Amino acid sequence: MALALQAKNLTVSARIDGALVPAVRALSFDLEPGRILGLVGESGAGKSMVGRAIAQLLPAGFSITSGALLFEGEDVAGMPPRRRRALLGRAIAFIPQAPMTSLNPVLTVGAQFDEHLARFGAASRRARRDRAVAMLTAAKLPHAAGLLGQYPHQLSGGMCQRVLIALAFSTDPRLVVADEPTTALDVTTHPPILTLIADMQRQHGTAVIFITHDLRLAAQLCDQVTVMYAGRAVESGPARAVLATPAHPYTRCLQLANPSLRAERRALYVMPEQMPSLRQLRDLVGCHFAPRCPLVTDECRRGEPPDIAVATGHRAACIRTAATAGIAAAVRDDVAVRAGEQPLLQVVGLQKIYTVGAGPFGGGRAVAAVKRASFSIAENEFVALVGESGSGKSTIAKLLVGIEQPTAGRIVFAGEDLAATRNRAQRAASVQMVFQDPQSALNPRRRVASIVTQIMEAGSRHADWDQRLARTKDLLAEVGLSADFATRLPGQLSGGQRQRINIARALCALPRLLVADEIVSGLDVSIQAQLLNLLARLRAELDFAMLFISHDLSVVRHLCSRVLVMYDGEIVEQGPVAAVFDNPQHPHTRALISSVPPDEPQAPWAALKA
Amino acid sequence: MADALARSLRSPRVLIALGMLLCIGFCAVFAGLIAPHDPGDQNLLSILTPPAWVDGGDRNYLLGTDSLGRDVLSRLIYGARTAMLVALFASFGAMVIGTVLAHIAGYFGGAVDWLIGRAVDVWMSFPPVILSLILMVGLGTGLSKVILAIVLVDWTRFCRVLRSEVLIVTRHDYVAAARLLGFTHRQTIVREVFPATAPLLITLVSLEMAIAVIVEAILSFVGLGVGADQPAWGQMIADARQYVYQSPWNLLLPILAIFITVTAFNLLGDGLRRTLDVRLAETGR
Repeated sequence: MALALQAKNLTVSARIDGALVPAVRALSFDLEPGRILGLVGESGAGKSMVGRAIAQLLPAGFSITSGALLFEGEDVAGMPPRRRRALLGRAIAFIPQAPMTSLNPVLTVGAQFDEHLARFGAASRRARRDRAVAMLTAAKLPHAAGLLGQYPHQLSGGMCQRVLIALAFSTDPRLVVADEPTTALDVTTHPPILTLIADMQRQHGTAVIFITHDLRLAAQLCDQVTVMYAGRAVESGPARAVLATPAHPYTRCLQLANPSLRAERRALYVMPEQMPSLRQLRDLVGCHFAPRCPLVTDECRRGEPPDIAVATGHRAACIRTAATAGIAAAVRDDVAVRAGEQPLLQVVGLQKIYTVGAGPFGGGRAVAAVKRASFSIAENEFVALVGESGSGKSTIAKLLVGIEQPTAGRIVFAGEDLAATRNRAQRAASVQMVFQDPQSALNPRRRVASIVTQIMEAGSRHADWDQRLARTKDLLAEVGLSADFATRLPGQLSGGQRQRINIARALCALPRLLVADEIVSGLDVSIQAQLLNLLARLRAELDFAMLFISHDLSVVRHLCSRVLVMYDGEIVEQGPVAAVFDNPQHPHTRALISSVPPDEPQAPWAALKA
Repeated sequence: MADALARSLRSPRVLIALGMLLCIGFCAVFAGLIAPHDPGDQNLLSILTPPAWVDGGDRNYLLGTDSLGRDVLSRLIYGARTAMLVALFASFGAMVIGTVLAHIAGYFGGAVDWLIGRAVDVWMSFPPVILSLILMVGLGTGLSKVILAIVLVDWTRFCRVLRSEVLIVTRHDYVAAARLLGFTHRQTIVREVFPATAPLLITLVSLEMAIAVIVEAILSFVGLGVGADQPAWGQMIADARQYVYQSPWNLLLPILAIFITVTAFNLLGDGLRRTLDVRLAETGR
């Protein structure tokens, strides 16, 4: 039988300053019909390039420079546009990353289905409608017939993704490319969406390329995986074998960098620095992982490592595979700092009601973002606030720092009612916030020194520049950046570096409480591990408490000692992390916990079932 | 910002426009030195002479004379002074009012935004030329009155465009972060929001200067401009209109002057927009 998709030494290059730099280097894989191949890697690894190469949607300046990508034996790159158009959408379908923006907002679901099916020759309007209803029903969407008349904005993100999956499989494709199909969705929708993709794939006998950054997820869903780093497939083989006994140090480090939800708490493995950018790749000789590799030898820096078979079908691009199993995280673990006894923050009956759709003369309807929330945080304690989007957790953050005023309830900080605190400077010095999106949180026109010491120019304070530079030096050292960052602009920093600056700014006046809103959620696992360790170290050194808002339970369990679970504007469960996660009481807490795939590749994932 | 300005100085559009404006500006500043005659001096013995290179031209009057025997070249040069003064002060005044209101409306939102937004709507519902004519009738003629009329009419242009830019900038977390660090509202607007809207503002000012030149010409044309004692291009067009068949040059030359000035300002605005606007600069379009 012909292979559904085959990559033969596929190289995709970008033109940078006149030179060709490979973003994907000599990638080879075989995907048999009816199988799932996982492409795993962090951002910038080149994993999305394969899907883009098939669709001929490579970013500007990128092109396939050598090798071939064969769909059922036919070269995708060289085929005439007419032939490609006939294949794309029908024989090759795509499930996108952002379902909400992938449907046309001005057309009903039915119209989009009809258009899609009509393109591929479904004869009558009636037949197309029947097919649409059948597919939507198969995607486990309730009231499929009624759904056809609805617009995308009337559906949730999970429902949009189901519609897109139904759409993708409606033409019985032979290959489906799913690019991070759950990343933009709430965690509790992950298992059902993945189950749906797996079911559809089985029923239609489709080959699937599943692109993801999550090793645990890939182990559960895929037959084969290819782990990518800086454009090269560093390890490939049967999914469970690769992830149970990783041979490449990168795969192993990545696993150890990810905190576990179920196993005993352990220190995270922290890879230094970050994946080289394309610009850096140009000047890099030897193994691309060498600068971050714990097993690096001089030989690694001399030439690129060959692909070595470590077991049947299991290959790794490393000369030191034998030593990989021995990599372990440092024993020292800064996280386990005991929290103080004294309550620092007490929140009683906090409530926030927004008026939606009101004009200047009133009207509109009331929506309770936070219904009634009471909790406390002790000195030096890290408390997590978990919940899905729309649960009201960001509203609580805004209320605590004073961006929004509560409708009712009291916020008592160190014995003082914060709402009564008129002194903004005092408030700024005691409670600070780290924002979710470091890109948006840093003024692109200020230099790092000016950003991190911004509090020193607030109000009537006018610290002189020498003082600010001295403080900048200390702060940069605290967050693990060298002093020469002081003169850079945010645009010259990577995501992880920006988030460090973001943290440094909040810590400038040594606040006693830090409110951190999803500060690691947009970052790669290796960068996330760096930041989690940084936060733990800073707590030990600077002595502050933190409300850590997150949707990632593994991270929460690693970093925090207590957890508050929020659902629909209410705190439905709270307690010590161990107690809540080992014995969840509220159904929503249970749903959240079961949405996280198990650590062990062989262990069954109860949530992922037919 | 400084980088962007330096970059814009390498754009050919900006350079050409600046070159043209420098010439016009030189005429305006040193009108007294370079004009061959006093613009008000009448020589009734040689009226409506054509430019020197045309048959019947007089070497003494390089671009000819008008119906009262005044030197056209000198009047054009002094007219540049009027046009540039109006362009500079009127657009600056409109910018100040529009920018302040736009930042207040966009930053605070809510009722303030509504109030300012409706004021702009009502203001803009009057045709601008009619509104400025009415204002001129009320204010009387004179250079400062022309400037005032243009400021009062055109601040809405700045207000409306900038407000939406302020809205976008204000939504960035760094604005909220500044507040959390203890910045007052005024500090936040001046130090965080304004630097982000400034590139758009600079572009708008240069476009507004072109509009101010045109409006001044229109007002002078209908006799409600800077006053009869001060030469203005619009006035020259109005005078020449009656003798268009005897002496078309008198009509064409001030029109050409207006055309060149407005083109220069528009070219400058376009060039600045292309280099200062991050979104356009990145795509290279």
